[in-house]
Amino acid sequence: MKVTFQIEGASPVIIECNAGENLLELARRANVAIDAPCSGNGSCGKCRIKLIEGELESPQSRHISDEEYKEGWRLSCSSKVRSDCTVFVPDIASAYQSRMKTADLSSPKEVAIFDECQENLKRSGIHFVNRFRSKVITMAEPSLEDTMPDNERLTWAIEDAFGVENVHIPFSVMVGLAHTLRENHFTVCVKGELTENTFHCMEVCAPEDTAIVGCAIDIGTTTVTMVLTDLETGKLLAKGSSGNGQIRYGADVINRIIEQGKPGGRKKLQDAILKETLIPIIANLCKTAKISARSILRLSVGANTTMNHLFVGVDASSVRMEPYVPSFFHWDGLLAGDLKLPANPLAPVLIAPNIGSYVGGDITAGTLASGIWDKDEMSLFIDLGTNGEIVFGNRDFLMSCACSAGPAFEGGDISCGMRATDGAVEACVIDADTMEPTLSIIGDEGQKVVGICGSGIIDLISELYRCGIINAKGLFVREGKRVKRDAHGMGRYVVAFPEESETEREVSLNEVDIDNFIRAKGAIFSAIDTLLKSVDMSVEMIDRVYVAGGIGSGINMKNAVNIGMFPDVEIEKFHYIGNSSLTGSYAMVMSDEANAKCAEVASNMTYLELSTHPGYMDAFVAACFLPHTDRSLFPHSVQER
Amino acid sequence: MAFTPKTAPFSGKINAVTLGTGDKAIVIGGQNVMPFYTFDAPIENAPKIGIEISDLAANWDAPALKEFYAGCTTMVDYAKRAETMPGADFLCLHFESADPNGANRSVADCVADAKAVADAVTMPIVIMGCKNIEKDGELFSKIAEALQGKNILVLSARNEDYKTVGASVALAYGQKVGAETADDINLAKQLNIMLKGLSINPENIVMNIGTAAVGYGFEYVASTLDRVRLAALAQSDADLQMPIMSPVSPDAWSVKESTATEEDEPAWGSREERAIDMEVSTAAANLTGGADAVIMRHPAAIATIKKFITELV
Repeated sequence: MKVTFQIEGASPVIIECNAGENLLELARRANVAIDAPCSGNGSCGKCRIKLIEGELESPQSRHISDEEYKEGWRLSCSSKVRSDCTVFVPDIASAYQSRMKTADLSSPKEVAIFDECQENLKRSGIHFVNRFRSKVITMAEPSLEDTMPDNERLTWAIEDAFGVENVHIPFSVMVGLAHTLRENHFTVCVKGELTENTFHCMEVCAPEDTAIVGCAIDIGTTTVTMVLTDLETGKLLAKGSSGNGQIRYGADVINRIIEQGKPGGRKKLQDAILKETLIPIIANLCKTAKISARSILRLSVGANTTMNHLFVGVDASSVRMEPYVPSFFHWDGLLAGDLKLPANPLAPVLIAPNIGSYVGGDITAGTLASGIWDKDEMSLFIDLGTNGEIVFGNRDFLMSCACSAGPAFEGGDISCGMRATDGAVEACVIDADTMEPTLSIIGDEGQKVVGICGSGIIDLISELYRCGIINAKGLFVREGKRVKRDAHGMGRYVVAFPEESETEREVSLNEVDIDNFIRAKGAIFSAIDTLLKSVDMSVEMIDRVYVAGGIGSGINMKNAVNIGMFPDVEIEKFHYIGNSSLTGSYAMVMSDEANAKCAEVASNMTYLELSTHPGYMDAFVAACFLPHTDRSLFPHSVQER
Repeated sequence: MAFTPKTAPFSGKINAVTLGTGDKAIVIGGQNVMPFYTFDAPIENAPKIGIEISDLAANWDAPALKEFYAGCTTMVDYAKRAETMPGADFLCLHFESADPNGANRSVADCVADAKAVADAVTMPIVIMGCKNIEKDGELFSKIAEALQGKNILVLSARNEDYKTVGASVALAYGQKVGAETADDINLAKQLNIMLKGLSINPENIVMNIGTAAVGYGFEYVASTLDRVRLAALAQSDADLQMPIMSPVSPDAWSVKESTATEEDEPAWGSREERAIDMEVSTAAANLTGGADAVIMRHPAAIATIKKFITELV
């Protein structure tokens, strides 16, 4: 039996299969990207495909209307193959992979934020220097009179060049030494690490190739971003990002952990992040930067606990099971060669330390980057992602916790939600009288609406609430052209009528979506609230709020406060610091001191486990209201009518 | 020198809500002290007791209870007899049989009963439904309409149906509405805010913050009562200053202690005695926790609780 995937805007893919096989599984096997944030539970309705030919056993779900079902639309996750068939995979489904908008330093604004963070770190006394060196050395060519062997010749030359007494030449260098020396007539570039009295040689190559490069990686649950940097000057050589290839195994860490626990799952998940995601990006960046992969002498990874476990290939099951003890917090034994990364095989891979099951290296790297560990003032650091992580404190103490916000901020769990790619509504203003929206849409001019991303949802809910279209519970209380109700009386706000949308389907936000989002924002705020209360502090004591994360870039802070997601402090106190995990990883790869500081920050941070905290559930219920059950916490939240 | 105790009334005050009309009208709430803290400030309106009358009361088989209602066949008979019970302040008509999963009695029949009772008695009337959201919505609205002017209380509007129940009962027909939540101070407050958002006057709202028989998770009820009351009094939280009514009897009479027969549990003694004990303990616990009114069933239990209230206020 054969299934042909006709992919919109790409060449078709054909795969052999048996009758009864699951279509989504097949697509994964054939490397056809279909967005399935719920990992095939049939709950998100995102994995729509259209049956063109053949037979699929596929029940109609609530995500597909009668008309659509007649046209051949099916959910791939609940479809079983019954005969040879051809299915059409719409581009929206695969858009996440190539056009994911994240804080990947692609805009000058993001670069400016990145640079500012680095400057702040330098002001905090972190020197951006490391021990990696490269030098061109020239040796006398051997002759019948000078019969010193290659390794001794090289050792003498290096001792001379770097003024050290010991030189360490590893196998990976030794094995090609004879050839490299002779090909370059005994004038070569040596690269390696210089410790007190020893030079650890890592690479011997042609004298033109003097680059020593660091690679900083942020592995997010949803997206991966990366930069290559000159280890000598700190200059950014190349940057890139892509979706995390593990997405098709589930949108959140819990689903990934479940998936990796299945037979062969660990390898599958590791391959998805290494072979499908990281290795292609690194190879690409090397090409862009015109360097050889072997010039990458150090890598650093900022990733949450689950992601760095899966990256290394370590069983992550214990992360989600009581007593929630992961395999490692701080571990520095990893070399690029262990994972066959396209880099110098001896290059150390620094993993930003974890401090708990749900507060990982991305947060310690982010905390390092935010600089809150060096300030007298009380700072709140919020990293918004699939998980929300919160750090609070100053130079004297740091507290951290994590809460599960769910995929709502990235458009999951929301009927017309999508990640921040082309066609996503990223901002919105609603006219209080006419209830008409003014939208700002990601993409080129003329781009029509496909769905709504996290920042767009925050704006929409805040505006619906401000205009009195929804009440504090998120239920519709005004009627109008754009407020519609289904047969069960469930209200929705039409953001784009079918004729206004890219897909010719209505784009709207319904009461269930709003409820899901209110839970997500409730999780964030109650985590902040609980963390502050655990140190007996209140919102007024916050001097600064640092907001990080890919979806953070577009957030309208005023609206986020209006719906009670962030504490009601002066808007000027909010600072968006971009992808702080990447910024922190960059600092770690560049600077030995930053690396040490990151470990120190991590070991000084206290982790508060919210799932076992008695007051958290109560705070959560109180926060699941617009803006909050205790309105006095949000004096600036407004409802105009 | 004589000892003068310091009194500590709160600045916050529970709303005083009037139920019923005429001489038999009652007021619940109105105090600014914790339950029975008469040494801090006088409690003008002592907690009230309502008598539960179910449309399934014919099935009640506790001997003394049966005897009290001997000869009663219609809801009107039951109601008139209940009015004579010592300690009774108001009547609670419980339309259990409206449940579509049970007898599925029609709304029209229930309304006719309610109307007949209202015409025959003088005590304030409280209405309880069958817990089915859709049926209750219709039932409450129709009864509120039929009993317009009687100033009844309808228990209850819930998170799922507060809009329909609140709008019809309180706004359209000017009755009092109950706000029912399940043992969570935040949910209780949220529902009150929502009801106020429908522009229902807070003075027309009574809360049912959740119930349980003692020993069946009553800790949650106790802590919620306590927190709600402290928020209302100590923090003057206007969204939680509604008086609280606790339907005690439906829970107290449906737990194992009250339902197990003497043959099954010979060591436990008289079944009726056990049920009375459960009802008394649950009602007393609710009242000391902060309830301003309790709904009860058995004459003996009611007599005990009446004495309890009289001696403490």
